[in-house]
Amino acid sequence: MNEKVKILLDEEEIPKAWYNIQADMPSPLDPPINPATMEPVKPDDLAPIFPMELIKQEMTTERWIPIPEEVREVYRLWRPSPLYRALRLEKKLKTPAKIYYKWEGVSPPGSHKPNTAIAQAYYNMKDGIERIATETGAGQWGSALAFGTMLFGLKCTVYMVGASYDRKPYRKVMMEMWNAELYRSPSKNTEFGRKILAEDPDTPGSLGIAISEGVEDAATHDDTHYALGSVLNHVMLHQSVIGLEAKKAFEQIDEYPDVIYGCVGGGSNFFGSCSPFVADKLKGDKPDLKVVGCEPRACPTLTKGLYQYDFGDCAEMTPLIKMFTLGHTFVPPPIHAGGLRYHGDAPLLCKLVKDGWIDAVAYHQNEVFKAAKLFAETEGIIIAPETAHEVKAVIDEALRCKEEGKEEVIFFNNSGHGHFDMGSYDVFLRGKLVDYEYPAELVKQSLAKVPKVE
Amino acid sequence: MKIGFLINPIAGMGGSVGLKGTDGLADEALNRGARPIALERAKKCMHELNADSFILTCSDEMGEAAVLNQNYEVVYSFEGTSTNDDTKTACKLFLDKGAELLLFCGGDGTARDVYSVVGNDIPILGIPAGVKMHSAVFAISPKSAAKLVELFVEGKTELRDAEVMDTDEEAYRRNELRMKVFGYASTPYEPVLVQQGKSLFQSVSEEGAKEEIAKFACEFMIPEELYILGAGTTIHKIAELLGLSDEKTLLGVDAVKNGKVVGKDLNERELLQLLEHEPRTRILVSPIGAQGFVFGRGNQQLSAEVIEKVGVENVIVLATPQKLMETPVLMVDTGSDELDEQLSGYMSVVCGYRLAQRKEVRSG
Repeated sequence: MNEKVKILLDEEEIPKAWYNIQADMPSPLDPPINPATMEPVKPDDLAPIFPMELIKQEMTTERWIPIPEEVREVYRLWRPSPLYRALRLEKKLKTPAKIYYKWEGVSPPGSHKPNTAIAQAYYNMKDGIERIATETGAGQWGSALAFGTMLFGLKCTVYMVGASYDRKPYRKVMMEMWNAELYRSPSKNTEFGRKILAEDPDTPGSLGIAISEGVEDAATHDDTHYALGSVLNHVMLHQSVIGLEAKKAFEQIDEYPDVIYGCVGGGSNFFGSCSPFVADKLKGDKPDLKVVGCEPRACPTLTKGLYQYDFGDCAEMTPLIKMFTLGHTFVPPPIHAGGLRYHGDAPLLCKLVKDGWIDAVAYHQNEVFKAAKLFAETEGIIIAPETAHEVKAVIDEALRCKEEGKEEVIFFNNSGHGHFDMGSYDVFLRGKLVDYEYPAELVKQSLAKVPKVE
Repeated sequence: MKIGFLINPIAGMGGSVGLKGTDGLADEALNRGARPIALERAKKCMHELNADSFILTCSDEMGEAAVLNQNYEVVYSFEGTSTNDDTKTACKLFLDKGAELLLFCGGDGTARDVYSVVGNDIPILGIPAGVKMHSAVFAISPKSAAKLVELFVEGKTELRDAEVMDTDEEAYRRNELRMKVFGYASTPYEPVLVQQGKSLFQSVSEEGAKEEIAKFACEFMIPEELYILGAGTTIHKIAELLGLSDEKTLLGVDAVKNGKVVGKDLNERELLQLLEHEPRTRILVSPIGAQGFVFGRGNQQLSAEVIEKVGVENVIVLATPQKLMETPVLMVDTGSDELDEQLSGYMSVVCGYRLAQRKEVRSG
């Protein structure tokens, strides 16, 4: 038996257009609301910090959005990313299921993030913008944007959460290698940063503070825009390149997934990899396709959150968006899958979960890290702790297939490597990993007492 | 920095010769062939200790014999066989001479004697050497005690509350385990930086963690329900936030309903009586002592009958992350095997504001 391990597409097969699921949704998204007017957000509201082309992409219901040739040119550096058959994992599990994964760790920054960073840098460059300001916590997004802006000759300013800046020196170096300018957040570079520093000079910072600094920097400089690495519709759009390539690769081997898994922080890598398949489900062509978002028990937005309008950030600077949320004041516990620590999720993903097209499941840290260990032992790749959430789900599903003798096709997006997460794996190997949980019942009880504002 | 240091020379001797403690039984232990171990363990600690400190201590094997390599002064000399009165007198002198930390070598009995004099005036830290070490003031080894003292002198530690517990030794020797919390001492610990993933890295102080837990508890506590509040400073913080700071006992089990204390320092019988008339009750408890007992040590009034009447599903366990880190597994020992089994397995422990940890629970 000579089964293929890598299904590779030709460079010419890099998609020429992104897929916008808004064109095929049975009911439209609820619009984002401007909290000042309580009216739907207008393009002009966003113009000070985003280029108009991205604002249009945010709001359009066109099905296909052409990918500019300059962006495809950069994608060529690593795209099309390979679709792998996880034969060794299958063998280890003795499962009749076929496990496939798209490997996004081949990008220079090591994750799916540049799929949108490149596009966002490009449109900002076209808009005559000279610099992009952003925030980064763990560092994946900052790295991807530093890489993207460098390629299009833009400057990049990254506000990196202070404690992360101190403790992840190599992420910092990575961004500096790509010419980004880094500030330990809170910084003296912004009004907000100076205010926080005056109150508490020793603060380790937070993502909320870093976002506020990035937005303020963009809003107060004419030549500067802001960029976000997940949640927004245009980010989901750019990430569809993963799913489109995967679909083509599956056609090449005459397969189609029965079930798709992905990890969900803000939702972009999962949504990008599944949306072209979900389209078939929405159209009724694949009614039995199962699509499942995987999240941490410590931050179970899709499985335990409420579907309602909420702020996208703790500082209440963003529009109100309709999504599953644990509340914008909720500070997720210190889990090691830093990229999954977000109180909300992408509105597009939330809407499809709410309407029953996509399911969700939540896991504890230890079981997730154990799955990552098994993946490293069989497939070799040491994956990011975020990605490990879906690998846990995949392994469970493969074992269920074994029990039931089912030959399912399982697909997941292997979103990135864990080479900067060795500290976390070290904690796991020493048996010191804490299984945080969200006490959903007690929270529900406490919320029942709070008078409803709506 | 001045550090008070004393050894209970007879501590730990009973253990190897089958006694359940050594208080009042030193001669018996020696007759049975026990060898003094406290001095050796204290020496191990002092051999490691390399801090900018000045040791105030007692004569001979009550201290001096272990600190010859340190800068020290003997401030108390004992005669004959040392007793717990010597320990107490020495502690008093250490305080008078301006000690900022009290380091002792012994077991639960010694901790209790030290605490009875020092209270919360200065932090105390134990070098483990006793037969029983249920109290949470002990370092895990003589070496780690030395490390903690060094960090304390350098100002790199934080303080946490630690249960001072002891058994009724008479009952203990009859194989009856009766644990009692005598109070909450203050003890240093090394804050571990916690990776807060994407957002931040921060070690929350013990006080901050308790406030978060209490804030959440006050949010989920419903009027008309009866709440049985266990002992300890974590649970006491809830009472503080409810404005019941003066009414809730620190060491006892109390009952609260509609924001009022309806029963104080209740025993098992009183609890059962109270439960007669309550449709829905919840128990809020925090694990006690170094071994992490949720039930069965120091809170025996929360008996199997009381817990069964309330219902296992209505038990809410709360503890600070620091405490949970120090107690890898929680323990239950209610006296009912069946109930212990029900409580064993995994439990969700509230450890912050809208935050919990899954912890393993075993029967002890």
